[in-house]
Amino acid sequence: MAMPADWKEIPEYRIVDRSGTRRSSNGLPGPFPGRYVRVHSEKAIDIPSNRIDAPTVRTMLSAGMRQLTGASDDRDAWARFISPEDVVGIKVNCSGAPVINSNPELVSAIIENLLSVGVPAHNIYIYDRFGNQMRIVNFEAYVPAGVQTAAAEHSRGSILGYDPFTYVEVDFFGEDDTRSNLIRLVAERFTKVINVPTFKEHRAAGVTGCLKNMAYGNFSNVARSHRWEKTNTYSFVGTLASVNTLRSKTVLNVADGIRSLWHGGPFCQDPRFLFFPKEIVVGTDPVAIDRHLVDMVEEKRRQEGAPSLFNRSSEHLKPGPELDPKYNSFIREPGHVEYASKLGLGVFDKAKVKGEVVSL
Amino acid sequence: MTLLSVALLVPSLFWDKGPQSAPELLRSGVTSIVASPEIAATWKNQPAVRVTAADPASFEKLPTPGISFRSDVASATREPWVDSDGWHYLRRPDGRFLYDVPGPTADLAAAEAFAFGGQAAIKTDGAGLPSLAKMLKFLAGIQDEQLRPVVNIAFVDDGSTRSAECLNLLIRRNLLVQASKSPVSTSTLLPVVLGSADYPTKDASNPVVFAQQVREHLTDGKRSLRIYGSDVVIGRLASNGGKTRVYLLNYGTGKYSVDGIRVRVLGRYSKAQVFDPEGSSSKLIDTLFDSEAAEFTLPKLKTFAVVDLDM
Repeated sequence: MAMPADWKEIPEYRIVDRSGTRRSSNGLPGPFPGRYVRVHSEKAIDIPSNRIDAPTVRTMLSAGMRQLTGASDDRDAWARFISPEDVVGIKVNCSGAPVINSNPELVSAIIENLLSVGVPAHNIYIYDRFGNQMRIVNFEAYVPAGVQTAAAEHSRGSILGYDPFTYVEVDFFGEDDTRSNLIRLVAERFTKVINVPTFKEHRAAGVTGCLKNMAYGNFSNVARSHRWEKTNTYSFVGTLASVNTLRSKTVLNVADGIRSLWHGGPFCQDPRFLFFPKEIVVGTDPVAIDRHLVDMVEEKRRQEGAPSLFNRSSEHLKPGPELDPKYNSFIREPGHVEYASKLGLGVFDKAKVKGEVVSL
Repeated sequence: MTLLSVALLVPSLFWDKGPQSAPELLRSGVTSIVASPEIAATWKNQPAVRVTAADPASFEKLPTPGISFRSDVASATREPWVDSDGWHYLRRPDGRFLYDVPGPTADLAAAEAFAFGGQAAIKTDGAGLPSLAKMLKFLAGIQDEQLRPVVNIAFVDDGSTRSAECLNLLIRRNLLVQASKSPVSTSTLLPVVLGSADYPTKDASNPVVFAQQVREHLTDGKRSLRIYGSDVVIGRLASNGGKTRVYLLNYGTGKYSVDGIRVRVLGRYSKAQVFDPEGSSSKLIDTLFDSEAAEFTLPKLKTFAVVDLDM
């Protein structure tokens, strides 16, 4: 995976973190660096009806967690990460809703397990940045009463849902607002975060998986990192994800790969770019999981005759909606996954990564 | 009736109706207007309203402040375009200006004139009168003649259109600037002269590039005022040595709700208090005072707010 030509031009980042720099032992890449478990089931989704099979998803999640932890039952597997005193934030991804988002059936299965560990419902939050996107998914219909849903921005652009004392400051293109602040609930309320990304191609970052859901999904004012064909996702994703408060609290990744996108992400501009890996991937190492995501999307694009995610040629650049797989608005930066490994967020070297597959 | 021969220290209502409109004015709390000599003459037997006569032709007309979205202009970003008249006040500090702003955003014009220390009269209609009247009353109540602008940049304004565009961009980027016709001797301000080695004429032809150069030369760390969380708020600072006052103007009023802005002011302070024309109980939150600066969040900004920082 080649580094971009200007990869050494890393912007100057200033991290201000109310929790300081003392690293928690829970923090990424967690107790299972370089490992992930992919659980696959053909029954996860009925494609013609587009219906997720909730019991199958519960079974997939159970299998993945037991395989990852070596526990013999679900409660013990989850108790490895969560205690009854925790306040847990489940970070979902709703940017592609209603076509592709963190499935509420999966979120519901996660919540069942949190309740079984002893976390009361009112200490469980499903959260994302934008309230309007979350309302499309309507998680409330799938989860027990008392579980909370929360958006950082109920009115778009409001900063009140973000912590003024934890931010990454950087000037990318001369924009005046140079701060990206962490969601206030993460800084002030949650003791643990479970990261539940979708698996998609991303027109700026190359892919959006664990790292991007953590980074761009937990901070304000991040769209400024793209301008014309240039995006700064190469370094910004990992830098945001490495902020100690967030990194320390994010204890588990449960990636929703039941549906995926091979082009036009993150907003699913055309359903013909959907494909169906029918998998859930669990692990504590976001880099290892995202490495798998890059390989998966890259292979799918190869099958579809689309340019590589790593293609930096200007002949494939065209601004506007990404409806033709030959073209993209930005030079993608899938190298953000490797950069994140250099920040200590996980293991990138394939030779050192162990990805286990469970087929149900 | 008095003739306008003194400075309009606080913006005024320019009114073009006769004394039959007195009840409407009084209901809105207005007891003082500026009017053309012909209209002013009709008010001579109406003691409830103080009328100052002024020929509207003697004022420089200013466009309506606010925001617009320039979908016809290719841009790397989708920032709204802020239409601010602030540069007029810096170019002509002794000038007298007239706005014609119908509707409820007339209050922004008054606030803008006040924040930039300029003299202005605002003409509006019945729909704009209540909000404008409320704003004028607020401004009169917070007027402090001891306050002097706090700036970081000494800009030499050659009076050209290009110079005006550059000055406008500096203001819009919240780069605190003063303007003068010739260079000033200063050890504390960043001198900016168009056509100099630091600011070549060819770069100044693109005000965005020019403003970015100024910002880089000044550095963000030396900026007395930073605003985070909104593209449509312009701020100004003033100080009397013991108190620093922050003026915050929401140019998106009526279109954009500003739900939270974070403000940083260089200097050592120990407390901050917010005032606004609505007399709301809005308080500052997440305040931070350290040896370098004060920071605070204003949860909501309708049109105009003033924050006083005390040492």
